[in-house]
Amino acid sequence: MMNVFFASAQQEMLSVRRARIAHVLLAVFLGMVSVSSIIGWVTTTTVTSVYEKILAGGLTAAPNPFTGVPALYYARNSVIYVILIGALMAIVLGAQATLRDRKSATTSLILSRPVGTPVRLGGQLAGLGIVIFTVLAISMAINWAAISVITRAPLGTDATLRLLGFAACAWMLLMIFTIIGMLGGIFSKRETTALLVPFVVWSGLTFVVPQLGTAARPVALLNPVPILAPTGGPFDLLAAITAPLSITEQFKRAASILLQDPNVSGNPLSSVIVLIGFLLLATIVVTLVPRQKLRSALND
Amino acid sequence: MTDLFTVARKEFLDLRRDRLFLIVISFLTAVTLVSVAVGAADFRAQLEAYNRYVADLAAAGTGVVPAAPQLFPLQLLRGGIEYLEILGALFAIVLGYGTVAKEKHRGTLQLFLSRPVSRFAFAGGKVAGLSAVWLGVVLLLTAFSTIAVITIGGGAVTGVDLGRLAITACFMWLYLVFWTALAVGLTSLAARLSTGLIVALVVWLAFVLVIPQIGDTMDPDNQVPGGLFAALQIKKSDELGVLAQFAGFDGIRNGLEVSSITKHFERLSFAFLGIKAQYNGQSIPVVWAAMLPYAITLTVATIASVIFSAVATTRRTLQRKQS
Repeated sequence: MMNVFFASAQQEMLSVRRARIAHVLLAVFLGMVSVSSIIGWVTTTTVTSVYEKILAGGLTAAPNPFTGVPALYYARNSVIYVILIGALMAIVLGAQATLRDRKSATTSLILSRPVGTPVRLGGQLAGLGIVIFTVLAISMAINWAAISVITRAPLGTDATLRLLGFAACAWMLLMIFTIIGMLGGIFSKRETTALLVPFVVWSGLTFVVPQLGTAARPVALLNPVPILAPTGGPFDLLAAITAPLSITEQFKRAASILLQDPNVSGNPLSSVIVLIGFLLLATIVVTLVPRQKLRSALND
Repeated sequence: MTDLFTVARKEFLDLRRDRLFLIVISFLTAVTLVSVAVGAADFRAQLEAYNRYVADLAAAGTGVVPAAPQLFPLQLLRGGIEYLEILGALFAIVLGYGTVAKEKHRGTLQLFLSRPVSRFAFAGGKVAGLSAVWLGVVLLLTAFSTIAVITIGGGAVTGVDLGRLAITACFMWLYLVFWTALAVGLTSLAARLSTGLIVALVVWLAFVLVIPQIGDTMDPDNQVPGGLFAALQIKKSDELGVLAQFAGFDGIRNGLEVSSITKHFERLSFAFLGIKAQYNGQSIPVVWAAMLPYAITLTVATIASVIFSAVATTRRTLQRKQS
């Protein structure tokens, strides 16, 4: 059984390595996460100059809002790239993994062997988990180096651990979307729907569910900082219902606290628990897929 | 021309029976209505908070009362416009891809190409058919949104407002046709169908989400909750004076934003609907004069996208190795 699991994981990694489109997506993700620190640094430097001009003109006596910002502040834009590029990359990887077998009609051959569905799908998921882990490890290493160069000092142990904590949260979120992609690839009758349905689920989780509880506009939800729910009216109740379901907002909250964003405070534990809960649930769902379902042919 | 119309008509009929299309459009309509409802609820919550504050002031014997929050009905459509920007473009890509993919998968493409059809019949017919479908969708969305603003939002819509909505609907249509035509062209060019879809999705990701997000991130006023200048209590005239000294940085930031067609559509629709404070209450000719460059670029981009789809969709590209 373990052999099948490892073989599936290995085959999945090999397939990703061979797929050109996967390379494009991984490169876009890595590139954006890498430049996010530089964008953050350029912006912070410019805003500090703007503040200094205002101060020199005697227009304000307020302190510089960026005085004492932690080094990890420069990594805050990575949060949004995980949700935008990372999640869509994960969906594509997940959907391609399960679609590949259906398109090449190799599922019947695989299932003619003493192979259990949970082992097969679990192996594929493990393979994708290793791919995503590797991508995140590289992006965090680049982030670490970029921030160290910007701040002219290597990041300390605490900051490094926080960066690793952020990477762990990102891995959990991306694995959830990978599973959503895999399920799309398994249950859809057409290749178009296999990608479209997970994308719709992603947009629902990223925009619609948080909007219900926070009244935030969709574009405002593309900010790296989680949106606070307004009080009064129906929002107290709606926020209580939708907050645990807004996994991207939970990820943003945990990430903002871990990266010491001055606009967010609290303990990231509750958000991390939500992410773990969703990941476990999604893993159980994918391993419970009926054997017969894997054999279903694509209509287009 | 007959070939082109036949393909367009068939596309129109196909989509009318397509469950995926129905799901996609229902989802887009639902989120638009939800955003109107959420916006209206948020306004009511603000009004309640204001009334409580005024009551507290009266109880404390303070005579100065701040201005009450004012409902501008068309501003309730902001969420719907943003959904169309993001999800509408995504769905337009998927439909554009699907229209080429289905012919390849079903084998009907070979049959079609075995007939003496004109060079642009396939791409032209497909894009024309989808454009007609998008016109219907835009009309439906505009009608539902208007009804929602009146019924759910409790706002009064005037004749001028209907004119603003009609102009915005035209730009919505151009925006959706742009993405659909681009997807048709990219899918035809790609040897593997899934590659065509994924490349189109990467373009969508870059131009709809990532580039505008970078532009927003670089905006000095977006660095502090509530705005940097508000936090520092800087007057608007002083703000403009200070920012003028950072014209280079602002030029790059604005350049990034305007490189995205989404921002052109957003600026146009926000101006005509009065969502952008600067244009709220301005007459349509005044807004039109200010927005003309964006209207031109959006129109030119859409025409370019349609031409690209026609040029990219040849017998040779369509008959390349299939996935």
